Amino acid sequence: MHELGIMYHIVEQVLRVVETNQLSEVEAIVLQVGELSSVVPRYLHACFPAAVDGTILENTKLEVEILTANGICGGCGKVYPLLEHSRMCPECQGEELEMISGGEFYLKEIRAY
Amino acid sequence: MKEIRILEIKESIFEDNNRDAQRLREQLKSENTFLLNLMSSPGAGKTTTLVNTINRLKDKLSIAVMEADIDSDVDARTISETGVKVIQLHTGGMCHLDADMTRQGLRGLDAKGTDLVILENVGNLVCPAEFDTGSTKNAMILSVPEGDDKPLKYPLMFQISDALLINKIDTMEVFDFNLDLCVERVKKLNPDMAIFPVSAKTGEGMEAWTEWLYREVKGE
Repeated sequence: MHELGIMYHIVEQVLRVVETNQLSEVEAIVLQVGELSSVVPRYLHACFPAAVDGTILENTKLEVEILTANGICGGCGKVYPLLEHSRMCPECQGEELEMISGGEFYLKEIRAY
Repeated sequence: MKEIRILEIKESIFEDNNRDAQRLREQLKSENTFLLNLMSSPGAGKTTTLVNTINRLKDKLSIAVMEADIDSDVDARTISETGVKVIQLHTGGMCHLDADMTRQGLRGLDAKGTDLVILENVGNLVCPAEFDTGSTKNAMILSVPEGDDKPLKYPLMFQISDALLINKIDTMEVFDFNLDLCVERVKKLNPDMAIFPVSAKTGEGMEAWTEWLYREVKGE
């Protein structure tokens, strides 16, 4: 269960943005989470109320965008979604691959007044 | 009507901690203290390995230990029997340490002037790999009973570590552990990894590991 600790980090990061830009209210926080990053979106949502408790983000929405994990086949160079194909190239059935996305975990943007 | 603004941030969530860790690393370097972050799953033999390592090096280096645990002090008690300074850090339910918690621990330990501080991270192969503690080097332990497939299952930990101890090699016959295959899998993820098959219990292989660590601390 590391989502709560991570959520506290995110809240701190957002509060700094709020201060720097002198925002009065934050409507939404948008995160991007790769399919193969080690955070679970459902747990992020579950932890969010605890992490924003007592801050000006209490009424802020949390939005999480999921990014597909894609790999490039080491054999034939095809780019394919890893989870859908269980890490095996749909073209040549090769298992050598390089992950090109899916491990991301970003604070993408915040919408604010 | 208030106008809504979209502030594009596009910053990695781990970025804050990464920056903080880098500051801590530089500070430790200027103080000539080497911080080793030791990670493994629970039961891989971190504490036994640590005791054995300390006993081999404590006459040559000044050593202190930070024990990170969710909520107990059994490991700190065991370590304190070696005579080195030890502090227990309770993460309070968190599964890893970050750079700020590490800094607080170092402060509590009063580590200035210590050659080698070893941080025994929370037993877990996932989260500690994602949070840079500010350590000079990372070492991890994989024990034979856990299986030779762990590099496939927890690649990040193997990618960010500088040294790997394959512990409990005295039990190799009991478990279906293929050492060559394991090394091959690790090297594929991390060609620069220093690998030490050891038994912290019998002492086998510990000489090579502690020599490596000594050289790293001395900057040789």
